[in-house]
Amino acid sequence: MRHAELIASFTSQAEAMGARVIPVAGPGEVASKLVEILRPLGLKVALVDSPLVQTAGVEKALGQAGFSIEKDGACFARQADTGIVEFDYGIAETGTLAMDATDLKTRLAAMLPLNCVALLPVERVRANLTEVIDAYLGRGSWPGYFTLVTGPSRTADIERSLTIGVHGPERLLIILIGDNGGGHHGR
Amino acid sequence: MAGKEFKQRIRRALDNASLRGALERFADAYIVSREQVYAGRDFESLRQRIAAIKADAASRYEELAEQFTRAVEARGGKVFRAKDAAAAREYIYQVAREHGVTDIVKSKSFASEEIHLNAYLQERGITPHETDLAEWILQLMPGERPSHMVMPAIHLPKEEVARVFSRYLNEPVEPDIKNMVRIARRELRKKFLTAGMGISGANIAVAETGTIVICTNEGNARLATTVPPVHVAIVGYEKLVPGIKDIVPILEALPRSGTAQPITSYVTMITGPVPAWKGEGEGIKELHVVLLDNGRTRMAADPVFKEALQCIRCASCTNVCPVFQLVSGQVYGYIYSGGIGSILTAFFNSLEDAADPQSLCIGCRRCAEVCPAQINIPELVLKLRERVVRKQGLSRGYRLALHGVVARPKLMHTLLRAAARLQGPVTHGRPLIRHLPLFFSSLTEGRSLPAIAGRPLRDRAKDLERPLSKPRLRAAFYSGCVIDFAYPEIGEAVYKVLGREGVQVVFPQEQACCGAPATYAGDRETAVKLAKQNIAALEGARAEVVVTACPTCAVALKKDFPELLAGDPAWEGRAQALAAKVKDFTELVHELTGGRQGPFGPPGGNGEKKQGAGEGLETGRQGSLDRQCTTSGRRAEPPGELTQAGNQAVKVTYHDSCHFKRHLGLDQVARRVLQGQTGLELVEMKESDRCCGFGGSYSIKYPEISRPILERKLKNIVASGAEVVAVDCPGCVLQLRGGLDQLGSAMQVKHTAEILADCEDE
Ligand code: SF4
Ligand code: SF4
Repeated sequence: MRHAELIASFTSQAEAMGARVIPVAGPGEVASKLVEILRPLGLKVALVDSPLVQTAGVEKALGQAGFSIEKDGACFARQADTGIVEFDYGIAETGTLAMDATDLKTRLAAMLPLNCVALLPVERVRANLTEVIDAYLGRGSWPGYFTLVTGPSRTADIERSLTIGVHGPERLLIILIGDNGGGHHGR
Repeated sequence: MAGKEFKQRIRRALDNASLRGALERFADAYIVSREQVYAGRDFESLRQRIAAIKADAASRYEELAEQFTRAVEARGGKVFRAKDAAAAREYIYQVAREHGVTDIVKSKSFASEEIHLNAYLQERGITPHETDLAEWILQLMPGERPSHMVMPAIHLPKEEVARVFSRYLNEPVEPDIKNMVRIARRELRKKFLTAGMGISGANIAVAETGTIVICTNEGNARLATTVPPVHVAIVGYEKLVPGIKDIVPILEALPRSGTAQPITSYVTMITGPVPAWKGEGEGIKELHVVLLDNGRTRMAADPVFKEALQCIRCASCTNVCPVFQLVSGQVYGYIYSGGIGSILTAFFNSLEDAADPQSLCIGCRRCAEVCPAQINIPELVLKLRERVVRKQGLSRGYRLALHGVVARPKLMHTLLRAAARLQGPVTHGRPLIRHLPLFFSSLTEGRSLPAIAGRPLRDRAKDLERPLSKPRLRAAFYSGCVIDFAYPEIGEAVYKVLGREGVQVVFPQEQACCGAPATYAGDRETAVKLAKQNIAALEGARAEVVVTACPTCAVALKKDFPELLAGDPAWEGRAQALAAKVKDFTELVHELTGGRQGPFGPPGGNGEKKQGAGEGLETGRQGSLDRQCTTSGRRAEPPGELTQAGNQAVKVTYHDSCHFKRHLGLDQVARRVLQGQTGLELVEMKESDRCCGFGGSYSIKYPEISRPILERKLKNIVASGAEVVAVDCPGCVLQLRGGLDQLGSAMQVKHTAEILADCEDE
């Protein structure tokens, strides 16, 4: 499959599973986009640092826009409205996000708050789970805590009625970052 | 016979309208969404891959367990091999005690239910909190049982849940689902943040890397394995697979088969201990994996039941099971429900505990069709039944019927003839018995039974066997008891149609019951005896083909006989030789009339394939079945017999008999044969391949289950708008005629042979 098709498939599958995919042209546009979409969701943000987060100037932009940013601490992400985390891969077949979440803060930011923002550069979209497994195997030892996330948390336990957001995030926003204006951000 | 308490549970479940409604609605929707989520995928090759991976793993658990243990330990985790439930419980309790744990958060785990962990911990002052929403609701309702493997609380209406929450919070809660989910989130979040330990199950365990894989939609497993400083995973040996890539096909099938989702919201893969908050700062979590045996290695060593360890617990077998849909998981009584559940219960609990649950299976084989692990569930249930019978013996009534009568064909035939003479006052001269005063009246509730024929087929056979001058084929007709004694006219139709095709048919008089009633009752001894008698009788006919018009008999002759006599030097070869000659009537007609000529086309529906199928049939021999079908034919029919008005085609709908479709695979062949008849229009009914509820003695043992299955079938039949129901099994004829009779319906139920016999040469 051509890369453009992978992206299209990833986007449509992720949205079918209840995520919102927000494409931006390049890392330069991430910060302003975040300010725009996060404002209605609450001003407390738990942010996991990464090279991409730094080049994109996320912390500064959010700070200037009046958000309170949490990056550490025993109660990390417990009270935040939104967690912002960079993911490793996207899987086109099912609209799934994949990451090595061995780092505790990465895990907490992605699971505790009601909203989860996933940052994903487009070049990290792969066709299927097998390719993603291969990619991790190629890196050496298998991650301690590996996570696949597809859409928001859901349950249908009461009368088979689909309800979003039970223990995990109720909203999954995927910022899909094009390679316009920046190099590649391999992790 | 099923225990009293068990029967009561069935009664209660059947009377529970909201449970039945919920299960039915779910199951109906499930079938459609499952189809959709597998669309464009090669399910057969997927299930073959899964079966191969899991079967291979089951043959080397010890090796994989060692490899898994090494991998987990290399990362700093601990693995405890628990021989049984008691060892597992005690280990987990000790871990909790060492850390002074008072509260535990649990993510849904069958294995923990299996070892009755909650009660054990509670008695010792530790509170486990279920965090899966449904499990939590059930936990707040003491005495309530899960009713489904994947959706344990599917039977609870939202009002009931609201009452449970109101009691728990001590304040009124509205039955608003969204709001109740919010409440659960809020309440359980407190537990996640304060619990000293998290317990999870696992969907897969990878030996190569020491990884445990957990699938959830709610995200509770992620929290339970992340927040508390200690994590205990309870993992049955059957979850082991060799390599990390083996998870791919399982993850492809599990959510699709389970809830018809392409993937669950979360798939979590944990390999060794990971960072966690421990008191004051970040540290390394403690990870314990309890590898649970509790009967699994014994099962793996069992050549027959080993197959059940391939199960990936998707519950699709129960979702499609017509019996489960009526009685729910609450009736099966143990942790694992449905057909597969009874098999697992036999090993994880005991054979005694499995005795009642296994008896619920009607043998329709629908589950085997959808199982993504390619497990032949009904076959294993039968094997289990045999073991139950071997251990507990048959009930008195069954013993008398099977050993005393069925195993002695001469006596049985004498009794049947006597019954035919004595039934006059019961039948009032009608061909159906409306009430059976001698047995429980429930036997005929909702279904009339056929009267016993005045002259069985075996007595009519001589008149039917006019020698043909140049027969194409010599066939021995194996009629089976129902055709012989209840519906000899089906047998006559077989003679007529095959005679028309130039087949010389003979009736070996020594033939006896095929033994299916014994096989399905778990009475191997009687089945073996009858197999030998029948083989000898049919060999004597020196025929090229042994033709049956009953799929249950065909399966007995083709499959059961060789298996019953395997390893018996005197009989094994003879059984196989016979099996090779057996052919179903409709299949034979299809071949004789040219069905062999063309490759089978796509399934025909709603009669629109009529022309194509007709062509296929007629290319063989000069239009042998190209006849005008006049169902008003020469035979004297009871009033209400359909006549073909003008040139209007007679609408026929086809009911798939379970064995005919799923064992013999002849469902499309039968449709093609019918579509090849001029003057017939095939109209498909809804759920044509759903069981009619007959199941032989099942309808006598569990009339309360058989009846509602029949009712649903009848509704679909009537809704098809057809005038005739065609079937290829005399058992289904019995069940459906009886049911329609009690409905007062004028619809005719006919064996395909009877329909073909009515189709005359122009
Ligand atoms: S064979 Fe039919 S009745 Fe038996 S378990 Fe399977 S689906 Fe249920
Ligand atoms: S037996 Fe097959 S269909 Fe049933 S739960 Fe197991 S894997 Fe699923």
